[in-house]
Amino acid sequence: MILLQSHSRFLLDTLLSRLQNIEKAVELDYHWAEFDDVRYHIQVTMKNPHIVLLSVSLPTPPPETVFLSGLPAGAIEAIKAAYGSVVQILDPPRDGFNLTLKLNLSKLPTDEEYKHALLVKIASVREVVLGAPLRVILKQLASRTVASDIDPLVALVHRPKESFFLIPQAEKVTVVFPMRFKDSIDIVLATSFLQEFVDARRTAGLNNAPYCMWSPTPPLELKGAPDEALSVNAGFVTFVVLPRHVEGKKLDRTVWSLSTFHAYVSYHVKCSEGFMHTRMRRRVESLIEALDRAKLGMENARNNAAQNRSFKRLSLKEARNHSFN
Amino acid sequence: MDPASRPAVVIDNGTGYTKMGFAGNVEPCYIVPTVVAVNESFLNQSRSTSKASWIAQHNAGVMADLDFFIGDEALEKSRSSSTYNLSYPISHGQVDNWDSMERFWQQCIFNYLRCDPEDHYFLLTESPLTAPESREYTGEIMFETFNVPGLYIAVNSVLALAAGYTTSKCEMTGVVVDVGDGASHVVPVAEGYVIGSSIKSVPIAGRDVTLFVQQLMRERGENVPPEDSFDVARKVKEMYCYTSSDIVKEFNKHDKEPSKYIKQWKGIKPKTGAPYTCDIGYERFLGPEVFFNPEIYSSDFTTPLPVVIDKCIQSAPIDTRRSLYKNIVLSGGSTMFKDFHRRLQRDIKKIVDARLRASEARVGGELKSHPVEVNVVSHPIQRYAVWFGGSVLASTPEFFGACHTKAEYEEYGASICRTNPVFKGMY
Amino acid sequence: MANTLRLYLTCIRNTLDAAMCLQNFPCQEVERHNKPEVELKTSPELLLNPVLICRNEAEKCLIETSINSLRISLKVKQADELENILTKKFLRFLSMRAEAFQVLRRKPVQGYDISFLITNYHCEEMQKHKLIDFIIQFMEDIDKEISELKMSVNTRGRLVATEFLKQFI
Repeated sequence: MILLQSHSRFLLDTLLSRLQNIEKAVELDYHWAEFDDVRYHIQVTMKNPHIVLLSVSLPTPPPETVFLSGLPAGAIEAIKAAYGSVVQILDPPRDGFNLTLKLNLSKLPTDEEYKHALLVKIASVREVVLGAPLRVILKQLASRTVASDIDPLVALVHRPKESFFLIPQAEKVTVVFPMRFKDSIDIVLATSFLQEFVDARRTAGLNNAPYCMWSPTPPLELKGAPDEALSVNAGFVTFVVLPRHVEGKKLDRTVWSLSTFHAYVSYHVKCSEGFMHTRMRRRVESLIEALDRAKLGMENARNNAAQNRSFKRLSLKEARNHSFN
Repeated sequence: MDPASRPAVVIDNGTGYTKMGFAGNVEPCYIVPTVVAVNESFLNQSRSTSKASWIAQHNAGVMADLDFFIGDEALEKSRSSSTYNLSYPISHGQVDNWDSMERFWQQCIFNYLRCDPEDHYFLLTESPLTAPESREYTGEIMFETFNVPGLYIAVNSVLALAAGYTTSKCEMTGVVVDVGDGASHVVPVAEGYVIGSSIKSVPIAGRDVTLFVQQLMRERGENVPPEDSFDVARKVKEMYCYTSSDIVKEFNKHDKEPSKYIKQWKGIKPKTGAPYTCDIGYERFLGPEVFFNPEIYSSDFTTPLPVVIDKCIQSAPIDTRRSLYKNIVLSGGSTMFKDFHRRLQRDIKKIVDARLRASEARVGGELKSHPVEVNVVSHPIQRYAVWFGGSVLASTPEFFGACHTKAEYEEYGASICRTNPVFKGMY
Repeated sequence: MANTLRLYLTCIRNTLDAAMCLQNFPCQEVERHNKPEVELKTSPELLLNPVLICRNEAEKCLIETSINSLRISLKVKQADELENILTKKFLRFLSMRAEAFQVLRRKPVQGYDISFLITNYHCEEMQKHKLIDFIIQFMEDIDKEISELKMSVNTRGRLVATEFLKQFI
C-alpha cells in the first residue's frame, strides 16, 4: 500500500455487512479512531435495523482556523451535496462529537454500482467534512474566480491543534504545510523525504505536477500567520496548485491528498524505519555468521541453529565468560 | 492531546488468526489470518557487479518492500499470482519471522485500523511460554518503528480470564484452556499471575483437528479435489463438527438415521470450475474427539485433555486448587465445538470424584471431604475471548499506568519490556 | 579514498594482531574471581598503553590492552544528521543483540560509537586471525550498511514523493 485510501475501511465493511443482513436486527455500538485524531462512533439498534447513526469527531482546531458550530466552513453543504436524501444531519450531534449523521439504509439506490459508490462516499465522510473548505477554494480555482470576501490567508485544520495554510489567487492556490514530528529520528527522516519532494518534481515525468518547495524557515506567504503556527521542526512545504490540477475528477483526489499530506509522509517514515529493521536483521545475521567462522570446531556445528537462541544451555566455559560481564 | 484519552489499540496475534481493534468495544474490528504475502522476487536476484543495475535493483527493492498483503488478501494474492510467497510469521504461538511480523503489524495499523500509532497506547498479547527476548524485540519494533507512546504485552491466558470480567463476577484465579490453531496450553492463573511451573502444553490443536478430518474424508474416498481438501476440511470442521458424549452411541445414532446426521458439502473445483458434492459423516464428532481420545489421531501423544487439565491443577499450589477447579475457562477458536465444555466438565468431574472417593476409602470413611466443585466456563465470545479481555483491561484507567512508555524505553532500553506488571484492573 | 580506508584497516589489523596476546589472569584483589582488567583499570601494572588509530577526525579506533582482555572502541564517521541517526539506530540495534555476538560490549566506551571486549576466553575458543577478520569485516560492514541505508532513505523519499506528485497529473 503506497497511497492512503480516502475511505475508512472498517466503516465501509461495517456498512456493507449491515446491508447484507439488513433483515437480521443486530445491536451495534462501535467506537474507533483514525489518524489525525478523527474519531467515529457507529450505532445500530434492534428496533430500527435500517437506521445507522454515525458520529464523527474532528481534530481540535487551532485558534486561527474558522469552525462554524463545530464544523469546518461549507461542511454541511458538502454533506448534503454528496449524500442527498440517504443522510440526515442530526442537530445537536452526539455528546463529544462534531457531527452525527442518520443513515437510512432503506433509501439507498437500488443500482448496485451506484449504491456501492455511495457507500464508499459515506465511508469517506472525513474527506467530505474536513476537506470541505479546501474543496470550495479549489473549485473556485478550477473556474478561475476568486471570491471577493475571502481572506488572503486561509488556515485549515488537518491535525489536532495544527493547521495548514492556503493563499488563494485567481490563477493558483499556494498551499503551505508547516511540518512537525514528535520523534527526533522521524524529524530527520521526514526532512530528507521532504527535500526529495522538491527533487522529484524536477524530474522529467513530473513537470506537470504542482510546483514544490521546502524551506526550514516560514515562506513569505505566511506573514500574517500566528507565531505558534510557525514553530516547526521539519520545515515548511509549499505546493503551488494550478487550475489543471483540479480539473473535473481530479478535484477529489487533490483534496484528499492535500488534506492528508502529513499523514502520508508520516506513514512512509514509519515504513522506512521498518524497512531498515529488515535490512539490519539481515546484516546482523551475516555478521554472526562471520563470527561463527572464527570459532574453533564451528565447521561441523555451523548448522546448530540453537546457538543463538535464548534457551541455549550454557557450557561451563561460556558460563565463565558470562560472569565477566 | 494526551494519547491516554484515546482508545488503546488491542492486537491479539494468534498462530492462526489475528484479532485487532480498539479497546472499549465488544468485538475486534477485524479477525484476519496471520499471514503475509511478500513479493520476494527482488531478493533472489544475485547482486550484479555493475553499479547501474545495482541501483535499479535497489530501487525495485525499496519499492517492493511495500508490495505485500496480509490476511485474506494475502491468501487471495498468493492463489492468483506466483510472485507472492506466503509467510506465516507466528508458529506454535511464537514469532519466528520478525520481518514478516513487523510488516504484518504495519498493515494492521495503517491499512486495517488506519490509526496513527503515535496516538494510541498498544496492548499486544503473547503466549505464556514466550521468551523475554522476544518481548524485547516486540518492544523494539513497537517503539522504534511505530513510535507508540506506550506498550503493554499481556499474557493471553490472563486476558482470557479477564474476559469473564463482565460476564460473571471478576475472578482472576482459574485455569485457562487455550486451544488455538497451532498451539494448545493449559495455564493456571492465580490472582492474575501465571503459575509458570504448572503450564502444560498439548501438541494437539485446531490444525490437527482439520488434518484429522481431512484424513478421514480422504480415507473414505470422498470426492474432494486434492488441492482444496485442507480448506474443505477446515470449513467442515468450523461448520459441522460437534462434541459427542459417547462415541459408541454416536456411531449408532448415525447408523440408524443417516439422513438426519450425514451432511452434504457442495463445492466447486478450483481448476475446472465443475461443481461437486461429498458426504460428511462420522468426522463430525470424530474430529473434536481427538482432544478426548488422542490415540485415534496420533500415537505419540495419548493423554486426553481432561487428564492434562487435572494434572495441571494437581501440580499447582495446594491452596489454589479448589478455586482452579471452580473456574476452568475456555478460549481460542478450537473450543467452539458444540457441547465441548459439557464434555470437558463431565470428564474432569469424573476424575476428581474418583480421586475423592479413593481418598475417602483410604481414611476409612471417617472423614467426609467437601465435594470439589468443577466448573468449565464457556461464553459466546470464546473465539476472541483473549481480545475481549484485552479490550476490557485496556479501557480501565489503571492500564495506562501499567504500560511501558516511550520515555522509559528511551531511558532504559528494550529490557523494560521483559516484565509487564499485573495491574489493579485485573482483580 | 578507498585506499586510505585500506591503510586504516591494515593498520588496525596489525595492531590487533600484536595486541591480542592474552592470557588467563585471576583477579588480584578478590580470590577466585577473574575479571577483565581493561575494564577495571585498578592495577596499572597489568595495563598496556592504549593505541589510538585515526583515519581522520571523525573516524578513529581506540585499542586498549591489558593482560587478560582487550577493548576495541570505534568511532564511525557521521557526515550529516541523517548518517548520525542511522548510525545510532544501527548500532543500538546491534548492541541489543550483543548476546549473540559475545565479543560485543553492550555499551560503547564514552566518546565512541561501539566497543568490543575480547577476553582470553574468547581467544581460547576462537581462532585469533579469524576473530581479527571479524572485527575488520564488522567495520567495513558498518560503513557499507550506513551508506546503503542512507541511500535507501533517499531513494524511498524520492519514490514516495513521485507517487504523491503523480496523483496530480
